[in-house]
Amino acid sequence: MVFNSLEFFMFLPMVFVLYWFVFNKHLKGQNILLLVASYVFYGLWDWRFLSLILLSTIVDYFVGLRIYNTDDSLKRKRWLWVSVIFNVGLLGFFKYFNFFVDSWIDFSSFLGYNIESPWMLRIILPVGISFYTFQTMSYSFDVYYKKLQPTTDFLSFAAFVSFFPQLVAGPIERASNLLSQITNPRQFNYHQTVSGLKLILWGLFKKVVIADSIGPIVDDIFANYTAYPASTLVLGVTLFSFQVYGDFSGYSDIAIGTAKLFGIELMSNFKFPNFSRNVAEYWQRWHVSLSTWFRHYVYIPLGGSRVSKLKSVRNICIVFLISGFWHGANWTFVFWGGFHALAFIPVFLMGRNTIYKDSVVGQNTFFPSLIEIGQVLLTFGIVTFSRIFFRSESITDAFQFIKRIVTDCSYAPYNHPMGYRMIDYYILIALFVLYEYRIRKDERAPFKFKSKVVRFIFYTIVVLGMLLFYDDQVDRSFIYFQF
Amino acid sequence: MKQLFFKIAIYAFLILLVLEGIIRIFHLTKDYPARYVDRLGVEKWVPDQEGYSVTGIRRQNFSKYNINDFGYNSYREFKPTNDKFEIALVGDSFVEGFHQHYYNSTGKKIENLLHGIEVYEFGYAGYDFADELHLIHKYQATFDLIDHVFIGLKFENDLHRGEYNIVPDRIKLESPMYRSLRKIKLLVYLQNIGAFSAARELTRTLLSFGQDNPDAAIIETESKESKKQRYLSYISNFESLVNTYGYNKKRYTLLINKTHTPMVFLTYLDLHGFTYLDFSESFQKSVRPTTLIYDMHWNDHGRDIIAQLISQYLQSEFNDNLLK
Repeated sequence: MVFNSLEFFMFLPMVFVLYWFVFNKHLKGQNILLLVASYVFYGLWDWRFLSLILLSTIVDYFVGLRIYNTDDSLKRKRWLWVSVIFNVGLLGFFKYFNFFVDSWIDFSSFLGYNIESPWMLRIILPVGISFYTFQTMSYSFDVYYKKLQPTTDFLSFAAFVSFFPQLVAGPIERASNLLSQITNPRQFNYHQTVSGLKLILWGLFKKVVIADSIGPIVDDIFANYTAYPASTLVLGVTLFSFQVYGDFSGYSDIAIGTAKLFGIELMSNFKFPNFSRNVAEYWQRWHVSLSTWFRHYVYIPLGGSRVSKLKSVRNICIVFLISGFWHGANWTFVFWGGFHALAFIPVFLMGRNTIYKDSVVGQNTFFPSLIEIGQVLLTFGIVTFSRIFFRSESITDAFQFIKRIVTDCSYAPYNHPMGYRMIDYYILIALFVLYEYRIRKDERAPFKFKSKVVRFIFYTIVVLGMLLFYDDQVDRSFIYFQF
Repeated sequence: MKQLFFKIAIYAFLILLVLEGIIRIFHLTKDYPARYVDRLGVEKWVPDQEGYSVTGIRRQNFSKYNINDFGYNSYREFKPTNDKFEIALVGDSFVEGFHQHYYNSTGKKIENLLHGIEVYEFGYAGYDFADELHLIHKYQATFDLIDHVFIGLKFENDLHRGEYNIVPDRIKLESPMYRSLRKIKLLVYLQNIGAFSAARELTRTLLSFGQDNPDAAIIETESKESKKQRYLSYISNFESLVNTYGYNKKRYTLLINKTHTPMVFLTYLDLHGFTYLDFSESFQKSVRPTTLIYDMHWNDHGRDIIAQLISQYLQSEFNDNLLK
């Protein structure tokens, strides 16, 4: 089941009503309902893979207890490795098995040995596996680092692992935030629910109006890049930047909003990354839950920035390369991660990686300064350039795409593959950027207007936008489901 | 909680109301002309109506239609006489042409190409060969005054029945319920952009839970033999209709796309002296697209090609002086 489906809009009110009317003030009942709802939510995609979630839940539940119940550091470490090996093993098998076999064959062929491929398997990638394995691992890590006491309530733990709003595409929650909310009683809160509904509406707008409407243009340009001039390729990758942002941040908003309906606060996952003033700030604003995960469980354990500059640079490279690889079993993602490492390191070496941590562009003014505009455009340009690797089918395609931009520097007007007016999309993106700038200080309040009338006007515009840009012909699946 | 439900209901109602207004003001969705069955049992549009046909989101295709006294979309009234040279185009939505301005129809294009000719377009969405021959049969006196008649025929779609009956599903659209629903423009808009297809799909899935999809099975398993039988039954329907309603082989020409017509039927037409005008070759030769992007109706260029083909045909069959 996906958020932008009719099934979900029948499923959600049913769960909501049961949650607050039937099981209200009955914590165990609410948690059982969340668990059952989450399994139904996932099972409607493919019930067979529920066993993986259940297995991951059981393993980390017991690993957490084992780690906590022993003081022997060696045993604690061994149990932690059980969790890591199990979860990474699941990922490795379902997500990367064919990739490794393929890469091995390519490498052998490069060395002059031609190997047949006896081990290629037809493996379906279970949706959300990258997300829930990381979430369960974070629990074991937190227990290991004594930041968290393990729960003895298996039901609550299972609900934490499979919590349906964020099960398949995050935000990747830490147990210290989500599990503690699941184990504590929740009260219905009107303002929290309204805030959740607003986020769902805004998330749907980003998904339906921005991401889905741009999708066919991006698909067309990337599929036929050899036939288009540089101007079209630049347009394609720029629009892809907005598409992937609208798609993923839209999903996160709907997830956060949905969780709010059940009295649960998830962490923010996107904080207007398109207004970042350098690449470091970008990573403090883009897919925050993943960046936080890597910072806590990879970067800091490796020494973080408290070691020599050289080692810190090494740590940065490791984090970005793993992060790239996490996104998909393709060298394009590794390149994408590597490119970001290269863009991040100069900022780090200049000591500018945390200077924008607590501010946004145009912090105290209505308009940004010219310098800020320049910084934002430069950062957006770098990030957008990296998207060529992210979107291309192969490294060869990515480099051919770049080569074409550089060598065939010409312009030709682009026509929409389905015959729509392109000007509609340019205006749409411009208005979207302006509106996001207007709300840039609070990613959780997309309709923050004092006047009820103004608020109503914006609700109407958002719904109207969905009507004007909804197209039932386009693929409406979420991009990050494939990761 | 009560406050929440109350506010959601109020906001939803107000938003829907505003959207309804916006859709009406900016004419974002199509008008539906009323249809009826006339005193001769012919299904057509209620005469003297005007409106706008809108296709796709954001008024991708926007055109005006005009239903004339006869009940068909055309800029002219159909008043054939012995003195003038008239031709008729009889067909489905391709001839009806709601996807084009009624002053830019295939018929008007033919009139622009040929001198002193009047073209009557008897087009109605969903017409099949039974509808077409029945219409000609019932209005025999009118058609007898028309010099030549072109009848659109799609073999796979138009020969499913061997006798004319009113199609209940089409007439059902004029029931009070459908009429009332069509007055809510927001519903019409949502239906046209495919927003209800998910609901239909879900309903179908729920209703057919645990059952095989019989349609899919037929498509997948149709053997050569059953296909042949199907084609033969279509040809039999063709024969039956021709025998029942009459067919003037000298004055009637079928307008067909050969690439979508099986050889067995083409051979049958040749053997039995039915003339046809094939437009497939001209469409295939065209460098520019001949159909609209969002549906398969002929676009302006496609209609140009059809008009040229018909003009050339008439010129060769009748008189060079027809050429302007």
